[in-house]
Amino acid sequence: MDLQNLNPSSLKSRFTARFLRALTEINAPKTISSSSPREIFQRYRRIKVAADKSMAYSVRSRRIWSRATLWRLRTRSRSRRLVSFGRRASVKTRTTASHGKENKEHHGAVLGVQAEELRELVPGGEAMDLCNLLDETAHYIKCLTTQVQVMRTIANLYSIE
Amino acid sequence: MTSENDDMGLAMSSISMFNKSSNTSDSFFSSCWDPIVSQSGSLGGSSMASHYHLVMENQGISGTSHVSHYQSDPSFVELVSKLTGFDGGNLSQMVGPFSLPQCNQVANRRCPPNFTLNTEGGNERGSTNSLRFLDEHRISKEALVGTSPNGKIRKCAPESGSPLRSCKNGDEEPVMDLSSEGCDGPREQARKKPETEQNTGANSRGKQAVKQDKDSSQSEEAPKENYIHVRARRGQATNSHSLAERVRREKISERMRLLQELVPGCNKITGKAVMLDEIINYVQSLQQQVEFLSMKLATVNPEINLDLDRILSKDILHQRSGSAAVLGLGPGSNSPYGFSPSTFPGTISGIPNKNPQFPPLPQTVLENELLNLFQMGFSGSTMDGFGLNGIHRSKQSYIF
Repeated sequence: MDLQNLNPSSLKSRFTARFLRALTEINAPKTISSSSPREIFQRYRRIKVAADKSMAYSVRSRRIWSRATLWRLRTRSRSRRLVSFGRRASVKTRTTASHGKENKEHHGAVLGVQAEELRELVPGGEAMDLCNLLDETAHYIKCLTTQVQVMRTIANLYSIE
Repeated sequence: MTSENDDMGLAMSSISMFNKSSNTSDSFFSSCWDPIVSQSGSLGGSSMASHYHLVMENQGISGTSHVSHYQSDPSFVELVSKLTGFDGGNLSQMVGPFSLPQCNQVANRRCPPNFTLNTEGGNERGSTNSLRFLDEHRISKEALVGTSPNGKIRKCAPESGSPLRSCKNGDEEPVMDLSSEGCDGPREQARKKPETEQNTGANSRGKQAVKQDKDSSQSEEAPKENYIHVRARRGQATNSHSLAERVRREKISERMRLLQELVPGCNKITGKAVMLDEIINYVQSLQQQVEFLSMKLATVNPEINLDLDRILSKDILHQRSGSAAVLGLGPGSNSPYGFSPSTFPGTISGIPNKNPQFPPLPQTVLENELLNLFQMGFSGSTMDGFGLNGIHRSKQSYIF
């Protein structure tokens, strides 16, 4: 595992580099550390978005879920610029979900209910048949575990200072 | 043994044919074939070489990857020698005792014992069988993405074929006519769709002895197509729809097996529904962990030097996955994934608080802070999916 980490082009190192860059950006403008919940919450949102974004960028467009994540982030940021927070973005996500439910019957999956749940979890899963969905899920799980590992290490190092 | 002589003869003739052929991959083949032929002192090995050679001739460069697979595995020679010891019986019976469950499955489904029966006859038979063999390689290449078990699967198919051939010399059965019809039917249907090739045991073996003449004319057409030919199993519908369905189901079960390896604690689970539930839970827990960690990163002291980031990047890359091991080796309890958030209080409480501005973060205070933030989130802007369920789960894990 250590040898893999040293590989500069591995998923883990790519994600780490991007995420750290994003973190420094988020933390940089902080001159006075205010522990107000509001600010912490905003920072939480930004960090979460940064984590997902850096993971999706590390995977490039090779996977359906990464493309879907990037697209989602872009449309959300666009909608936020136009209108105030949240309303439009939620509407958009709802429409995509409804399209997904229509497609579900056509795929003829034996395990329809669980496949539907999995589709909701994996980004971009609405438009995939079960076969590709399982493929994407496997890759998604692998990337999520990397993400969790890296973030946990960062958090530990930060708290130790 | 006459069959052995035939094999050697065929191998020799095939090698001579190979030398004459004008494939661009000639040099590659010549370099690859010698070790295989020399390795296989046994009956099966030489037959394998001959079949494989014919495949290469028909298929061209695309088969080189398979050649390399073959080359790298010396164990198949041992398997072949074991298999030749058996006589008669079903294919499944033969493959059974080897405790190669994948091989067994695949041998029953995909193994083209047809093609192994070739060596008794002329080259024509070999070509027909090699087509199937070739098709099977295409399948494994396309569908299975070349993982190591796939390599075994591919090898098992020809190995199990050879003993059948040796045992059933000169097998003449009336079943052959029916089976030949059955073969042609799905093959025509298969022209329209890609389907995987499947074969079963003893009855299909006899086909080849008579089929050679009929199929020799068709053999030239098949390699030009890029389809995977499916053969209907004995006693199953030869409808193209059902065949395609079976292919789909096999693909899905392949992927499920891969997922089973990824998700911890799923070795004992059999059944798609339960497996899918586990997968869903695991993905949900991973996503929740990401959110927890991002929340933790947000609460942590932001005034950190930039130098530290460089150190961090090195440390993270060199970090062993000890924390991941906690997650991965968690017991198969209801919520094994809840263990990892429980590491938070351990790290936080064990650290002396150096920053006066930040309040001390014992377990309860962090929990309260998180609670406040979550409630704020509900009243304020939207929180995607970060519901109270996450809080309850974290509480449970802390109680651990």
